Amino acid sequence: MEFVITEYKHCDLVEISGRVDSYTSPKIKETLETLIADGHCKIVLDLKAVSYLSSSGMLTFINALKHCQQGKEGKIVLSNVPPQIFNNLELAGFHTLFEIYEDVVTAVGNF
Amino acid sequence: MTTRNFPANFKSLSNISDFIVTSSENAGFSPSDIYAIQTAVDEACSNIIDHAYGCENLGDIQIQVTPLKNGIQIILRDEGNPFDPDDVPDPDISSPLEIRKERGLGIFFMRKLMDRVIFEFSNKKGNTLTLIKYKGA
Repeated sequence: MEFVITEYKHCDLVEISGRVDSYTSPKIKETLETLIADGHCKIVLDLKAVSYLSSSGMLTFINALKHCQQGKEGKIVLSNVPPQIFNNLELAGFHTLFEIYEDVVTAVGNF
Repeated sequence: MTTRNFPANFKSLSNISDFIVTSSENAGFSPSDIYAIQTAVDEACSNIIDHAYGCENLGDIQIQVTPLKNGIQIILRDEGNPFDPDDVPDPDISSPLEIRKERGLGIFFMRKLMDRVIFEFSNKKGNTLTLIKYKGA
């Protein structure tokens, strides 16, 4: 699993690639918590290159969303969610908790 | 039938997934079914490490894959503590973000994504989890 963080004027883009599972999700958790602690509470998580997302990965995103929403106007949105990952998000009922965008440009533009 | 042993740690999950994906591809499953099987096995193995063994590197996970006439059977064995799925309530998937609980998603995924999920325990053999997926079901 790898990720790249790009800071935009109104939000931060986190492009994740590879597997997000019980082994790798602690690293994403640490990264998101650091971003949020530094006051970056408007985040786009781009999942275009994510090959697998486990429930531990989903819960990492959910917990980061909870932290973001404690602040004013904080929000985490998803972009480029692969269909199989969307199916599992839907199964878990998480698809309604996130705003989901088809591409990065639209997601970043939302902020 | 193919059997492999993996150290019960989270680093093994990637190798386990590779094994399961290859086995499911060889069995002729669709990409969406392969992802479903991968999810069920990954969640099962994470549960074994977290709940049966209680932490990493206390034993192995043995995975036995058997192609069926119209599907695949995957048996996972561990020598951890007895795991009773009835102790884990289904998550409330419609609850609002503020009160969303974290426990139970793994078993929930297994039951939703596979056609049969059977938990067994014996003092001699430990935990045995049988997962079965049929093609086109």
